[in-house]
Amino acid sequence: MSDFKKRRIVVTGLGIISSIGIGKDAFWKNAIAGKSGISEITTFDTSGYLVHKGGQIKDFSTEEFIDKRKLKYVGRASQLAVAAAKLALEDAKLSRSYLSRHNAGVNMGTTMGETQWIEEIDTVWATSGSEKVRIEPIYEYPPYALTSNVAMEFKLTGPNFIFTTACAAGNYAIGYAYDLLQAGKADLMLAGGSDALSRIAFTGFSRLAAVAPEKCQPFDKNRKGMMVGEGAAVLVLETLENALKRKASIYAEILGYGLSCDDYSMMITIEEGMRFAMGEAIKESGIDKNEVDYISAHGTGTPQNDKEECAAVRNVFGERAKEIPLTSLKSMLGHTMGAASAIEALACCLTVKDDIIPPTINYETPDPECNLDHVPNTGRKQKINIALNNAYAFGSNNSCLVIKKYDERSQ
Amino acid sequence: MLNKRIVITGIGVISPIGIGKDKYWQSLFEGKSGIKPITLFDVSGLKVRTGGEISNFNPKEILGDSNLRTLDRATLLLASSTKLAIDDAKLEINKENNRQIGVSVGTTFGSLNSISEFDKASVTDGPRYVNPSVFPNTVFNSPASQLSIRFHIKGFNTTISSGMCAGLDAIDYARDFLYRGRAKTIICGAVEEFCIQTFLGFYKLNYLAGLKNNSEPVSCPFDKRRNGIVFSEGATTLMLESLDDASFRKTKIYTEILGIGSYFDPYRLTKYNPEGKGMKQAMHLALKDAGLSPQDIGCVFANANSTQDADKFETQAVKDVFGSYADKIPIVAVKSMLGETFSTGGGLAVIAAIGGINNGFIPPTINYKKKDLGLDLDYVPNKARKFNINTAMVNTFGQNGWNKSLIIGRRKK
Repeated sequence: MSDFKKRRIVVTGLGIISSIGIGKDAFWKNAIAGKSGISEITTFDTSGYLVHKGGQIKDFSTEEFIDKRKLKYVGRASQLAVAAAKLALEDAKLSRSYLSRHNAGVNMGTTMGETQWIEEIDTVWATSGSEKVRIEPIYEYPPYALTSNVAMEFKLTGPNFIFTTACAAGNYAIGYAYDLLQAGKADLMLAGGSDALSRIAFTGFSRLAAVAPEKCQPFDKNRKGMMVGEGAAVLVLETLENALKRKASIYAEILGYGLSCDDYSMMITIEEGMRFAMGEAIKESGIDKNEVDYISAHGTGTPQNDKEECAAVRNVFGERAKEIPLTSLKSMLGHTMGAASAIEALACCLTVKDDIIPPTINYETPDPECNLDHVPNTGRKQKINIALNNAYAFGSNNSCLVIKKYDERSQ
Repeated sequence: MLNKRIVITGIGVISPIGIGKDKYWQSLFEGKSGIKPITLFDVSGLKVRTGGEISNFNPKEILGDSNLRTLDRATLLLASSTKLAIDDAKLEINKENNRQIGVSVGTTFGSLNSISEFDKASVTDGPRYVNPSVFPNTVFNSPASQLSIRFHIKGFNTTISSGMCAGLDAIDYARDFLYRGRAKTIICGAVEEFCIQTFLGFYKLNYLAGLKNNSEPVSCPFDKRRNGIVFSEGATTLMLESLDDASFRKTKIYTEILGIGSYFDPYRLTKYNPEGKGMKQAMHLALKDAGLSPQDIGCVFANANSTQDADKFETQAVKDVFGSYADKIPIVAVKSMLGETFSTGGGLAVIAAIGGINNGFIPPTINYKKKDLGLDLDYVPNKARKFNINTAMVNTFGQNGWNKSLIIGRRKK
């Protein structure tokens, strides 16, 4: 392991497209203020469903980010990804010419891929027959379109991985970018996640009665489920050496991560694997668990997930669990699927940089089975040195990423 | 540690030319074609009616009777190849070691049929009447995650969906995870299923052989008559571990992974770069990673899939990378027998290369009849060659920018 630890990996750029703000400043201001991004869904007709709300992004004008001629075929998940990548690169003050002179790559995570293209194909097929399906969406529906489009846009020739590990995919993408940088396989990586609002996910989760009708209430006793959302976040990761050389401003340092999978069920994540992933992440980071100051929860707002996650946090941290803020951004954004853990990782970077914790909104009634410090409804100023970013997924996939305040004095 | 040596200790393959490694290698040696009339869905009104369907696949024979009902075809294919690989590696999975076994899978279209059928049902029947038991199949990682459930594997579980390079990407990722000690053993899979959605997609894009005027629906890489891919399916699973661990448990070792090279060529999402820059870079970087020179490679298992550009550009790239040695090195396209299996292509080629190295033969490029201008390397036409090779390069080059080459070799003493 020591070979890898020679290189410290830092975050030097943040880009985000979310239902509570485009760009990190707007997003962060609203996240701290506890603003909800939930509204009536207009992306597709919800009249046949029992629920109608979700975390749709309504003020995103694609033309600002992508050549208009490309919009005929570039799908929405790619649009969000390219836009978030563009913002991240601007934030990191990285020019296209700098990128062309360095070994830069891109890792992205997604749950549904170009879901809206698949849905267009399905709708036409189901109502008018397969021969009526347009050609363009066929080219661009495979999930690889996401990282392909980002790499094509910014001419990135380095590592390029598209992770489809469902709702934890962002953490997988960021984690492996960290690995690639530590191994010297890239100078610089864009890493994150993207998902467009998915009718397929909305159908499935609502059929399982797992969607809350009005609001997402993680950790609340009366929580009624998750809400389907959309978004994208991209982080610029590079070696500390590279960042210092180009005098970049540094948000945070990535210390390591842990992954696990359970053999219990496709749809239910359980305490055991969550605990194991946190344990692995802490071990790899070389920190003591008593140093963890904050946890960004997976916190979907389903009865099962939140209960299991709180149990896992209790089992990892013991008595100290109550003192560690455990909050869920999904209370504001809903579940942005493969983007969720990337957005949450981005928020963790800002938390450790600014010493501010965004709240868990819609929190009304404590649940004895959760009942940790969920920072209810109002953001909090608190010194945070080390944050964990939990993300779990369909298929019982568990992940945990460790993010630390950047300290120029430490070795 | 980066100097950890990584070896392949188990093989499972479900292919149109054979189920299980021995049958697969035998068919490769005989130059058998896996292309046959399509029976899985109705193709009666279409111009192309053949493909690499695995017609004798009976998952119950491999997996037993239980808990198969809700699984889609891709999941059944991958679970089957994985069962064969676990048995082949004599890997015992138990409570003591199951957190140290990881899963790394490449698949791109594997869940598409499940996704699309679920969605179409919501359009025609209404969203409140879809079958919730098939919803778990609508994520790309469901084949991989079902491996954890079925075989009680609790280490990391990752799915990569980069198209034609996904199989080798999964191996690349697995190798890095072994280097870092994130797992001791990795089940490294790839799968695509034969489904109407993907078939019709490529049909509509005019990407299949037999669609253009007077063209034949045949997979004939490097041949002048080549005119598109023959759509196909398959699943492969390789068991990866460090040489130290494999030696410790005294298991048989097939080959060692010697080097991997990757390069993203940001040219077009749907076209190969005519300069073959990415292809050349991937091969160069794989050689560099392995510390080998072109003369050390015994055989190239080509990406060539019977499309005009892919086969031509790869031939030129091999000439550029291998220089004067290019004339002497056999370059075979096993896709001539298997068709195009996308994510599984890398896995099928790696297993073909292992068969060649361990059994002393080079599989042929079948259906080779008509020489094309400039495509004049040794493609081992139509008949396998008995020949000892120690190392092989496997190429996978995607039309969407990805390029990946991998070198395996007989374990160095």
